[in-house]
Amino acid sequence: MKGSAWANGVKAMNIQFKKGILEICVLVLLDKKDCYGYELVQSISDKITISEGSMYPLLRRLTKEGYFTTYFQESSSGPARKYYSLTNEGQMYLHEQMKEWRAFTKAVDELIEEGVSGE
Amino acid sequence: MNKQQFLNRLDQSIQALSKEERQDIIDDFEEHFAFGEEEGKSESEIAASLGSVEKIADELLAAHQTEEDIMETTSNNTAKAVAITIGLILFNLMIVLGPFLGIVGTLFGGWLVSVSFVLSPLLLLINLVIYPASFVIFELFVVIGLCGLGLLIGILMFLASKGATYLTKRYVQFNIQLVKGGV
Repeated sequence: MKGSAWANGVKAMNIQFKKGILEICVLVLLDKKDCYGYELVQSISDKITISEGSMYPLLRRLTKEGYFTTYFQESSSGPARKYYSLTNEGQMYLHEQMKEWRAFTKAVDELIEEGVSGE
Repeated sequence: MNKQQFLNRLDQSIQALSKEERQDIIDDFEEHFAFGEEEGKSESEIAASLGSVEKIADELLAAHQTEEDIMETTSNNTAKAVAITIGLILFNLMIVLGPFLGIVGTLFGGWLVSVSFVLSPLLLLINLVIYPASFVIFELFVVIGLCGLGLLIGILMFLASKGATYLTKRYVQFNIQLVKGGV
């Protein structure tokens, strides 16, 4: 019982963890330029293994929270593309998230360094 | 699983959402399939890399749920605060206002008595200036006595006013707390 609760806890943490990372990736990509959904999914899944489908709930959530706006644009080939564009609020949120991310990775790096030199 | 199966199952799993929102979500995934196919992927390949329908539905519903919860609690709280405010206004008007004005009136009267008693030697003085012949030693003692009494009443009124101010402040704070507490 205890073991499975612990495993669930770790699983929940990993999901939260991955969600947070995906969020930063999406925000960073949109900070460079407006992108359509498929483009975002491919840019990220090229580098990180993700369930591509979970990107869409994420995009919807961040749009609802006012970090993105969306617009449609016809393309010469294929269907109309739904573009996502970062709002000012989204930009502020990105900076906050990046700060947290840097502090976090720095802490982990330090722990790794200590571990390695302690060996 | 092909595209139609994937979309049908997704639509089935998010029945709790509004029709427009469901359509919007299905459109997003249709677009995704279209781009994937353009790159030469098969429908089942695309469906596989999208991951489990249940998980996607869970995430969509979770976002919806929190949003609804927040809206519900805020509207509930606003209604509660409004009800408490109206209740307090009625209660204060009907039950608190009368005694409150009574106390304020008593305090005001007390102060007036105190001030006039303290100033009574002045009246005697004026009387003496106008009618120097009317001086009576008895009046002098009465006036000095009144002046002392006025000072005593003044001290009492000062303490009473301070107490009343304190209680009024506390009562107002209590009212504010009650309204805020509902939020």
